[in-house]
Amino acid sequence: MRPISYTRAGTLEAAVKAFTAAGADARYLAGGTTLYDLMKLGVERPAHLIDLTGIAGLNIIETDGDVLRFGALALMGDVAYTPAVHEGYPVLSESLLKAASQQLRNMATVGGNLLQRTRCMYFRNGAGSTSTVGVYPCNRRQPGSGCAAIGGLDRGHAVLGASDACTAVSPGDWPVALMAMDATIELFGPGGARSIPIAEFYRLPSDTPHLQFNVDPAELITAITVPKTPGRASTYHKIRDRESFAFALASAAVAVEMDGATVRTARIALGGVATVPWRAQPAEDMVRGKTLTPELALEAGRAAFRGARPGQHNAFKMDLGARVIADALMIAAERRS
Amino acid sequence: MPAEVFSAIPRVDARDKVLGNAQYGADVILPGMLYAMLVPARIAKGTMRELDITPATQIAGVIRVLTSKDVSSLAPKISFLGQPIALVVAETIEAAIEGAEALNPVYEKVSFIPLMEGPGATRVPAEGFDAGDVDTAFRDAATIIEGEFETPTQHHNPIELFGTVAEWSGERLTVYEGCQNTEAVKSALAQAFNLSPELVAIKSAYVGGGFGQKSPPKLQTALVAYAARLMQRPVKLVTPRGQLFHITSYRPRSVHHIRLAANASGRMTAISHDVVQENIPNGAFRSSGYHQDIARLYSIENFRATAGDIHIDRQTPRHTRGTHPFPACFALESAIDELAYALGKDPVQIRLDHEAKTDIIARQPLSPHFLNECLTEGARRFDWSRRTPEPGSMRLRDGTMVGLGVACGLFGASGSAAETTLRVRADGTTRVISSGHEMGQGIRTAIANTIVQRLNINPDRLEILIGDTTVGPQMATVGERGTASIVPVTAKAAQALRARFEELAGANPPAGDLHEQLARLKRPYIEVTVSELAPGQDASAIQGFRTAGRAAGAGADYPGFTSMSYIAQFVEIHIEPRTRRIRMPLAVSIADIGRVVSPVTAKGQMYGGMVWGFSTALREETEIDPRFAGYLNDDLADYVMAVNADIGEIDVGLIDKPDPMVNSAGVKGMGELVMLGTAPAIANAIYHATGKRIRKLPIRIEDVL
Ligand SMILES: Cc1cc2nc3c(=O)[nH]c(=O)nc-3n(C[C@H](O)[C@H](O)[C@H](O)COP(=O)(O)OP(=O)(O)OC[C@H]3O[C@@H](n4cnc5c(N)ncnc54)[C@H](O)[C@@H]3O)c2cc1C
Repeated sequence: MRPISYTRAGTLEAAVKAFTAAGADARYLAGGTTLYDLMKLGVERPAHLIDLTGIAGLNIIETDGDVLRFGALALMGDVAYTPAVHEGYPVLSESLLKAASQQLRNMATVGGNLLQRTRCMYFRNGAGSTSTVGVYPCNRRQPGSGCAAIGGLDRGHAVLGASDACTAVSPGDWPVALMAMDATIELFGPGGARSIPIAEFYRLPSDTPHLQFNVDPAELITAITVPKTPGRASTYHKIRDRESFAFALASAAVAVEMDGATVRTARIALGGVATVPWRAQPAEDMVRGKTLTPELALEAGRAAFRGARPGQHNAFKMDLGARVIADALMIAAERRS
Repeated sequence: MPAEVFSAIPRVDARDKVLGNAQYGADVILPGMLYAMLVPARIAKGTMRELDITPATQIAGVIRVLTSKDVSSLAPKISFLGQPIALVVAETIEAAIEGAEALNPVYEKVSFIPLMEGPGATRVPAEGFDAGDVDTAFRDAATIIEGEFETPTQHHNPIELFGTVAEWSGERLTVYEGCQNTEAVKSALAQAFNLSPELVAIKSAYVGGGFGQKSPPKLQTALVAYAARLMQRPVKLVTPRGQLFHITSYRPRSVHHIRLAANASGRMTAISHDVVQENIPNGAFRSSGYHQDIARLYSIENFRATAGDIHIDRQTPRHTRGTHPFPACFALESAIDELAYALGKDPVQIRLDHEAKTDIIARQPLSPHFLNECLTEGARRFDWSRRTPEPGSMRLRDGTMVGLGVACGLFGASGSAAETTLRVRADGTTRVISSGHEMGQGIRTAIANTIVQRLNINPDRLEILIGDTTVGPQMATVGERGTASIVPVTAKAAQALRARFEELAGANPPAGDLHEQLARLKRPYIEVTVSELAPGQDASAIQGFRTAGRAAGAGADYPGFTSMSYIAQFVEIHIEPRTRRIRMPLAVSIADIGRVVSPVTAKGQMYGGMVWGFSTALREETEIDPRFAGYLNDDLADYVMAVNADIGEIDVGLIDKPDPMVNSAGVKGMGELVMLGTAPAIANAIYHATGKRIRKLPIRIEDVL
């Protein structure tokens, strides 16, 4: 039998120590909703699991200070329904509530969410597990093996940020909302504590798609902080193949500050269309200082996809994505009080 | 008897299901049980040259690896991706999985044909049909409609996987497994192990969804039985869904070329229907079946069907709920909608005007049926009259496009000779031994209702034994014939039992319910066994039923008449102005299934059929990568099916008028029927909303952007 050791860490230090001692095939375990799934598929084959759920205080949700602060182990469902988040920052709350299912949101943590892996079926299938059959090359799963999605069934794949080695979509919704809100990720590792802006957390695939995150494997996410900007005029608009329990075909996290009908600032990030949570600067620039109309909103949406590179079956995402941004801008603006 | 209307009783197994007491194949745990895992071939076609089993047998807990050396059906010749090449048997499920994953066979690959198009794919003609003079009708036509329609490969995906537990006791084999045809499994196993059939028992008290996937005998069952015999211990195998996608059957992709002719007065004069589907050589799901039902839908004198198969290197496609009429109705009912527009007629009216009275294939009358009532009742409930005919003419204030669509479906009302044994006891209990499989459709509830509406017995202590070959012969529960076969014979049994009781009790029967009456008469029980034939059958059919032979089935064309069940679907579709999400806020579904035996479970079927119909129209497609001949979206997250949030209000109704010819209870089936018509109704509504005719399923957001 393939042995797996299991350690339940009581402190951050103990967790990092256990991880360092175990070496490369160790994994931190939070809600397990990504990790166990990938273990069944054989994509992850850890020998050591270090359970973080016993570390006191790692699931705090603080909304009274200068920033919103979410402990890495706070549950998706708990964060989404925290009144200050639910009412004050619809973009955050909706990004969580439109993800997965209630059962998953009751297990999954907001920290683990940042580290979920792509749903590209070529990535998921092909690791030799008996749960699946196909044997598909994937540079992300096995560097250098090739990318079956390029030239394959790529309807769900990225039109932004792809490379010749990988076009897999970044699947998460919450990270897109955090990207729009300029969140900061707090980390703790062998070298102590540090924090990085979310914009620096994710790596474009380029020619090393297997490296997805700019964190050391031994580093823990301890918390996510979100600056307290006016958040009420915001939304996470998600279009998917069904009305619930599906990943995004195209989504937009949008928060605006308005002077009457004029946009003072707009923050726009995209999901479902890019290899990383994607900040849509050109769209933000296009609406800033202007009177928001449905036409302008759509123009901004189109601007976000200038330079997009479609594959064989996903060109529609450029059009759909632009429309999603447009609708999201209008919804967010309507919420200004 | 047919005149009686059945009142509603709750689903009899609801409580057990909610409490988790209903036992499915995979729930069975036996002392000393071993666990197995299949090893799937990782190439689409070729030969397995080498298989070293030591990496598996070295794993602690692995007991045995069965290969082609043990079982000839684990042949090294590979004809589809995922074909089982070995079975690993171990003390634990974990060891079995690890053993299966440790094997690294050496394959020799050859080229393969994954899809209907591409090099090497050629059409093999199948049997067609020709009635009247189609060519002349098209020559003389005032209006011709022509289109090519396509429905995709789709998998059944019942929640229950293939779960098998096999146990031997001496020469006796018992198998626990969810299946729709225990008798076929029994004979297949008896043959495979060279046993006399009475030594084989199949127990399938509950099936967690079948939809056609669980009707043919499976290789898995034989392998598990073989392993159990070899090991002299019970063995369990539950096959993961990713493997099931590759080894179970599926609905084949089919392309329908349809032409309709109408004369100057707007009457449809001819239909020509050509179909080609993906198949394997000699596949059990025949392309010659597609025209059979649709040819009977409308009054038409000239009909031509041609058909063909393209052989592909994948596993065999087979029946999937709705079977042939599902894709064929999508094609015909979309084309009829086009014809209605071309003629400037209302889509409901054009259907009403073409009510069929005769079966063009068997050239005989159709039994009394009520499709037109379904249409008019549906139109009333749906308020069809609010529809403005022009495409794109209906909008909500926010710009949402509104489309209203209608379509029909029909399915052959077949039946089977059958037998029921009914015993009512003085101790307050009643036992029915009958035939069929409970897959969630509610056959137990239908049987219970047949009895409690006729006999004054205690309904809470009514035991219904079905789905078990040791209690009596079990007919295949396929093609929506289960209830239609079992209810008439069970009603007859109740009547016979009542007659027997009256004989016993004489002129002054004692008071009380039937149990109390028996107690007062000092009779521990009375029992009757009754058989019933389908129309036109002779006694050999009941012999066929008892020996599980195929001779027991009959219809939908019986001597002198043909019986079909019918449905009319009305849907309202909303399409968001900008992002074009397609939603269905309202659907009305009205069916003629003859006499309704169990109103609660029949309505359940209607809801479920509508939901699956929606799902086939707007959600489901099995994605096949032609470079590998593999199914990519092989899990329930990525094989997108409808969820609750997708479904708006559904209003269902049943005409509830008996078919006096089809059987003594007037009951027709509905299990297949209920999902017909929804897909074309949705496509028709999308056309009405947008002016865009979409002829390929599933319809996705990118099709309406
Ligand atoms: C069927 C299904 C549908 C889903 N649908 C959606 C959806 O629509 N939208 C969406 O956004 N998500 C969706 N998800 C993904 C889900 O949100 C993630 O699986 C979940 O958020 C992961 O959190 P977790 O706590 O369970 O992580 P785990 O599975 O425990 O961990 C995930 C990864 O992060 C690492 N990790 C966890 N916590 C830490 C930490 N504090 N520090 C460092 N490393 C850590 C683990 O080692 C592991 O590699 C879906 C998942 C499933 C199974």
